Amino acid sequence: MKKNLRDMRPVYVVGIGLHRYQRLSETPYVTLGLTAVRQALADAALEWRSVESAYTGTVLIGMAASRPMLRYLGATGIPMAQVENASASGSTAFRQACIDVASGLTDVSLAVGVDKPGPFAMAPGKARMRDLAGSRLVPFTHFALLAQEYMTRYGVSAQQIGMVAVKNNRNGANNPYAQRQKARTLEEVMAGPAISGSLTRLQCCPIGEGAAAVIVASDDAIAQLGIDRNRAVRVIASVTKTEQIYRGAKNFDAELTRETVEQAYREAGIGPGDLDLMELHDAFTIEELLYVEAMGLCAPGKAAGAIAAGEFDIGGRCAVSASGGLLAMGHPIGPTGAGQIAEITRQLRGEAGVRQQPNAKTGLAHMVGVGAVCVAHILRKGA
Amino acid sequence: MPNRTAVHPELYSPDLADNPSLNGGKCRACGYVFFPPQRYGCESCGAPPEKLEAVQLAGRGTLHSYATVHLYMGKDIEAPFTIGLIVLDDGPAISSTLTNRTDEGLAIGDRMKSVLVAASTDQEGNETVELRFAKAGAGK
Repeated sequence: MKKNLRDMRPVYVVGIGLHRYQRLSETPYVTLGLTAVRQALADAALEWRSVESAYTGTVLIGMAASRPMLRYLGATGIPMAQVENASASGSTAFRQACIDVASGLTDVSLAVGVDKPGPFAMAPGKARMRDLAGSRLVPFTHFALLAQEYMTRYGVSAQQIGMVAVKNNRNGANNPYAQRQKARTLEEVMAGPAISGSLTRLQCCPIGEGAAAVIVASDDAIAQLGIDRNRAVRVIASVTKTEQIYRGAKNFDAELTRETVEQAYREAGIGPGDLDLMELHDAFTIEELLYVEAMGLCAPGKAAGAIAAGEFDIGGRCAVSASGGLLAMGHPIGPTGAGQIAEITRQLRGEAGVRQQPNAKTGLAHMVGVGAVCVAHILRKGA
Repeated sequence: MPNRTAVHPELYSPDLADNPSLNGGKCRACGYVFFPPQRYGCESCGAPPEKLEAVQLAGRGTLHSYATVHLYMGKDIEAPFTIGLIVLDDGPAISSTLTNRTDEGLAIGDRMKSVLVAASTDQEGNETVELRFAKAGAGK
């Protein structure tokens, strides 16, 4: 008999920690990762020796990243493994930690995402025949194509899409962990260097370095280790899916998100109207419009109007990317998905300060990765 | 006698034909038609390589979207250039460089056709040709 996460032991986020996302520096990855893990341990008031398994989401560091970093917290002999799932690496590391606790294999598990920009190899190019466009079609052009199609279909302007960057940079300006901490006007967003199609530089996420750590625990651990139950946030759905064959020119990105998030809603027993906030994969502005529609937050073609009306602002009906999202908080790849969980946890605890979404009770984290994969988690306030 | 070679010999033939076809693939088990061609197995039903056959896909389709690329580090083409997403009449959606440098005069829904354009010529007059798409009925 198959189970989903909610049929297993309850899983709670009990500790979060971050190292600021920033441009490439001399800081070793070990320092980035340890900063986030130590902060998460302090947040949960846990000792390292209480952590029973660890998953490191990383894409660019290279083979065997976990122990050369985590050994400096003390040798405890616990299972450790790296998780690589493209942009969804941190999200997938978090899912593995949740599965360990939910299944009863562990009572306390860690997911940490850490990355530094550097040379890397990608498998898809090794697997596929060359296609016509080849290296001329990189992700920003893929999303520029989707943006043009969206603008034409719904009569939306490039400026309306640019408003996503205005909102998310405004949120990022209030996030001390964000790579971009500067509010931007629509004029600044649209005047920036043209990259591809209607997309300008500020409509594309920065890829820097950083780290994010999340500690999950069982009810038993909360009782036995003296963890503050009032600050624990329950994980009520964890779903990941991969792309299927969508005939013709259907929008693959939106369809994969639609299928994945619909399943997450079913498992959590909620609908889109129940979400107070979400962190989504806004590597490019157009993605936010496509995904909020695919996730049922508004009707097709209506997302630009909803953003203009403030519906997705902090204080609106559903705060989208209160952290600043990939566009402003940044996308260091390995940490990104774990950082989303940290933001939602902070919000559901009511500890997000000037970024606080009032009365936040339920939040969703959404990441996609090349391949193509999609990961969705739903978190709920209260243990 | 100078030679003509294709930039992507596995994807189309460098023949002189106007509106050249593309080398695609088809699954004999489920009928799925795909591009680019491959011999790994059917992405739709999972049939093994022996069920896959080569098919020629007509170089005609409809423009589904387009984007002018302003930032490009490669040496094979100079920015700006324009990429189109074209749904071929034979089914697959493909991305191709367009003959238009910018998106001026393009509209989603335009009928498109394949053309071979000269990519480079060496000192002996040997020509390398690249398949791009142009608005059907429009000259190069």
